[in-house]
Amino acid sequence: MRASSTKAHAGAASEWPAPKTVTWPRTGRRRALASIGALLLLAAQPGRADRDLVEGLRLFEAGEYTRAAERFAASEDPRANTLEAVAKASIGQCQDALSDLSIRAAGPSDPYVSKLAALAVARCSIAEKRFDAGLSTLSELLKLQPEDPDVLYEIARLHLKGWNEAVAAMFAKAPASFRVNQLSAEIFEIQGRYDEAVREYRKAIEKAPATLNLRYRLGRAILMRSHEPSALEEALEQFRAELQLNPHDAVAEFQVGQILQVLGKAEEAMSHLERAVELDGEFPEALVALGKENARLQRHGRAIELLEKALELHPESEPAHYSLMLAYRNAGRRDDARRMQEALDRLQAPQEGEFSEFLRRIGEAP
Amino acid sequence: MHGEPVRYVDMAAQAGLTAQMPNGGDGEKRWILETTGSGAAFFDYDADGLPDAFLVSGDGGSNRLYRNLGGGRFEDVTESAGLSSEGWGQGVCSGDFDNDGWPDLLVTYWGPNRLYRNVGGTRFERVPIPDRDRYSTGCAFLDVDKDGDLEVFIANYLVFEPASAPEPGANPYCFYRNLPVACGPRGLAFARNELLWNEGTGRFTDVSDSSGIASPSRNYSLGAVTGDFNADGWTDIYVACDRTPSILYINQGDGTFRDEAVLRGAAFDEHGEALSGMGIAVGDFDRDGHTDLFRTNFSDERSTLYHNRGNGDFDDVTVAVGMGVNTRFVGWGCAFLDADNDGWQDVLLVNGHVFPEVERLVDSDLSYRERSVLYRNLEGRRFEDISQQAGPGIAEPRAARGLALADVNGDGRLEVLINSQNEPPALLAQVGGSAGEWLVLQLEGRDSNRSAIGAIATVRTAGGTQRREVRSGGSYLSQHELRLHFGLGRDRTADVEVVWPSGVRQGIEGLIAGQAHTIREEHSGG
Repeated sequence: MRASSTKAHAGAASEWPAPKTVTWPRTGRRRALASIGALLLLAAQPGRADRDLVEGLRLFEAGEYTRAAERFAASEDPRANTLEAVAKASIGQCQDALSDLSIRAAGPSDPYVSKLAALAVARCSIAEKRFDAGLSTLSELLKLQPEDPDVLYEIARLHLKGWNEAVAAMFAKAPASFRVNQLSAEIFEIQGRYDEAVREYRKAIEKAPATLNLRYRLGRAILMRSHEPSALEEALEQFRAELQLNPHDAVAEFQVGQILQVLGKAEEAMSHLERAVELDGEFPEALVALGKENARLQRHGRAIELLEKALELHPESEPAHYSLMLAYRNAGRRDDARRMQEALDRLQAPQEGEFSEFLRRIGEAP
Repeated sequence: MHGEPVRYVDMAAQAGLTAQMPNGGDGEKRWILETTGSGAAFFDYDADGLPDAFLVSGDGGSNRLYRNLGGGRFEDVTESAGLSSEGWGQGVCSGDFDNDGWPDLLVTYWGPNRLYRNVGGTRFERVPIPDRDRYSTGCAFLDVDKDGDLEVFIANYLVFEPASAPEPGANPYCFYRNLPVACGPRGLAFARNELLWNEGTGRFTDVSDSSGIASPSRNYSLGAVTGDFNADGWTDIYVACDRTPSILYINQGDGTFRDEAVLRGAAFDEHGEALSGMGIAVGDFDRDGHTDLFRTNFSDERSTLYHNRGNGDFDDVTVAVGMGVNTRFVGWGCAFLDADNDGWQDVLLVNGHVFPEVERLVDSDLSYRERSVLYRNLEGRRFEDISQQAGPGIAEPRAARGLALADVNGDGRLEVLINSQNEPPALLAQVGGSAGEWLVLQLEGRDSNRSAIGAIATVRTAGGTQRREVRSGGSYLSQHELRLHFGLGRDRTADVEVVWPSGVRQGIEGLIAGQAHTIREEHSGG
């Protein structure tokens, strides 16, 4: 998939986080670590964990990190040094803690202690704006614990922090750049403030008229801004302008095709959809749209060929399954259509354990 | 017939349709129950040839029966007819279930539904039915086995109890665009639909399970309508469903039904996604002799037009015919109607957002009260949105729900009755416009059910052939008059063939345009 085509798959709302400075959720941290502390206590064999370690963990759980560090320092338990460093890191004494933590995090000790150490290292690195070091530590930890929410959360936080830093720097150092307008527009889009998004995109385009993707994003913001049918023509103009800049943009071709369909210009739409598929033969949405258009024209063979390819590229696609089911049906291949319907049913069935399962249980019996 | 455009004005106040129809909160709504009511009906309860109006009320008011006095005037006869009511009324449908010549009425409720027998065209009395306490919505009478007795189909929306229902904002299903709103339908338990079998003795039996009607178990059912969608001679049922796949019950000819909506292409939109189906209109927009479907949906969705391929398989042609441009409105009541009598069925839908709270949205073009939409049929190929030119009756914003059609004054133009939340009803009548010739047919069954539900009339003129079926239910929880209206363009005579549910075919040649004609079923023996 070429870079241009990824636009169709990435929703505007999911591409950028909000530009807020994220503060550390203190109570959340305490709760997460406290549970780990409890695990440590449980894991300790009777008599093995000394009183200082136990008391240190209790204080740590209570958020009294300075006193906890003191008790860990007094403990003879082999894990106590690491825990002391973790406690120090928790109150921002990273310089004191980092060297010990780095060793412990990488060492073959208790996995819970290693995780605590690695998380503390990452936090200290982030606090010192050494994002590469923090990311490196977390990436290693993620390999060991790929589903751990603490680790995933820290990674997300790290990216957010880095994003905030970069945004702040851009606004401070290049406030007149079109990139500032572009980013502002993208943020407004996320917030659903489409009028402002459109305004910022237009400013960006005025400053950098040859920049790719701006008109595409403007077109999308226009469509999101208004339900008026006139928005279709307005957006169409922008997608066409994007194509002027980059005639190889499959996604812009696709958007033009879609709008022309709604405007009742089926033949013209078809040529744009064909061009989108020509530019990117692995663009599932365009394949489905073109497949459906062929189906509408009773060109069953071509429709099925395109839709089967879309399904091959995106086996979980509900639109591809549905359109292929109808194409088979209309081609007289009823059994294949039923097979596709069964696959669609499976895709659309609520997952076990979801709230809907609860609803099914309390719903009416036949 | 594309001269002076059709224009509608609201004549309700002048006509005497003045009662406010309460339906929950107007500024905000706590429960989903406040969002779904209510329906409207035209039916000629006193058989005087003038369609009467019935409006269903939410809590705090009474359903209303307005007798058509002629000359565009109505009289409120609710009390004398025995139809005063209370409670959360939802839908209405009409059919003569005891075949005595007086059309009866079913009103659905959150709570026990009410079947009313029409006693001699003067009053109504309740008839017990084997019905549970539910949140019922759409309904329809139909003769499932073609024995001449009408069965009753009832759509049930979901399981709702205020005592256990979550409050606005209580969970992710209780928000709309970050506003806390009434919860549901997602997050609330599904309900199953019902079929009540007419034993022919004035008694009904619940056959929901054995008939297969209760089999679909993951649907939030709203509008329901009857029709022979696969042209096999047996009456089927279509149900518009909210946030879940719509249902197409295909009559198997042995008293049972099977939901075939998915494979037949009538459950989803063109992407295979379940929309928020509300109302349903049935017609033959391209005059190919096959029954097409139009379903109203939510905002940010499109109303869906399904074209029947002839065997009951459907294609979503919404975009292809030009109906893809409107995505703002939450659509409810709807109908195919030949507004300009040019022989091509246009489409009317009434709108109104579910949540009054949308008025608080900033940077949004949504509003709680919304205008109606009128699409002109361009000879079966495309539709053109002519709402902006269609007069104040269409432009007026409403929190509309039910919609029913009838030729109230016998002028060959269909009036539109609209039941809106917390407003008096609207009665849209045409003024001006260049209308064509017309024909109204009232069908009366003898071996078939008296209401002729399921009968199909084909009208042939020099300008072409049109086909209509007598249906119960339809629109949004509403009932159009049972008479069939045809626009004839410039043609002044028509040949008519009626195929009755009994199988009898009956032809009448040379019917004169500009009149209502009654056609009684001939016995199969002649």
